[in-house]
Amino acid sequence: MVGLIGRLWNLPYKSIVKEASGKTLAVTKFFCVLHITNTYLCTFALAYGPSMIPTFNLTGDMFLAERLSIKFGKVGPGDIVLLRSPESPRKVMVKRLLGLESHSVTYVVDPMNSDRCDTIVVPKGHVWVEGDNIYNSRDSRQFGPVPYSLLEGRVFCKIWPPKEFGSLMKSGMKDPDL
Amino acid sequence: MRLLSYMGQWKSAAKEVLDRTAIVAKFLCLLHVTNNYLCSPTLVYGPSMLPTLNLTGDVVLAEHVSHRIGKVGRGDLVLVRSPVDPRRILTKRVVGMEGDTVCFYVDPMYSQTTVVPKGHVWIQGDNTYASSDSRHFGPLPYGLIQGKVFFRVWPPDGFGTLEQ
Repeated sequence: MVGLIGRLWNLPYKSIVKEASGKTLAVTKFFCVLHITNTYLCTFALAYGPSMIPTFNLTGDMFLAERLSIKFGKVGPGDIVLLRSPESPRKVMVKRLLGLESHSVTYVVDPMNSDRCDTIVVPKGHVWVEGDNIYNSRDSRQFGPVPYSLLEGRVFCKIWPPKEFGSLMKSGMKDPDL
Repeated sequence: MRLLSYMGQWKSAAKEVLDRTAIVAKFLCLLHVTNNYLCSPTLVYGPSMLPTLNLTGDVVLAEHVSHRIGKVGRGDLVLVRSPVDPRRILTKRVVGMEGDTVCFYVDPMYSQTTVVPKGHVWIQGDNTYASSDSRHFGPLPYGLIQGKVFFRVWPPDGFGTLEQ
């Protein structure tokens, strides 16, 4: 008992604290760099849900999204973008950009029930996004054009599942009959 | 032989430059993280928030924690990204949250009532005569809120917390 207390008393606390804080600092620096890369360069994300079939699967695909294009205004129609949902501010969704400001966008209002189309001019500072699977997607057709500042990234490469690895096509596939 | 000694000097000089740069980079990193996620000073100017904020410019402190945890409410002064020009940040007051019914004057004769949709807020400048806000561009998605203004630093006679 006395020996234990003696050993506890003689521990080199100063060097232990120093080493611990040194290691913690190194880990903090690493996370800092990781965070900066994630926020300003490139991030990866998992998307699930039916709204982007066939581009993304129902059960979840992992992909890389870069942040520079959005900041420099270099996105255009046909790009797949990450955006913060205007209806639920904590959710981030993946959709395809179909129109920038002052573009005229023609869309099918309710493809399940009718073939009626509508045309809208996208107001200044906003963009029009739609899911590839227009039958089951909640997008600009429901909540209107989205302010450009809600865009968070541009998807450029799919990394999971492995057999679908590769860059994604830039296409605004629409029904050719429309 | 001379060449070898020059290379040695350059090597140590380069190492020192890298060390100094690393320190500066770490400092900027910390400053950036504080500015974006904790608290940042901002210069705000314009007539739309008179008399709360001055025309010629006030330096205010804005915190960036509340809007991430959903603690922004009615009466708060917020910094928002403009839905019309993505490069501008506006300072306005939150007048209505999602689900609220907002009544506003389009012109002195004619008033209109709208319900704020889910995920949006209604913002107005305190100086309704000279403010471009939700009365013009509609309810604003909550995701565009950048921070909440809580303190004024400059001018010195306006130093102190800002009222609700």
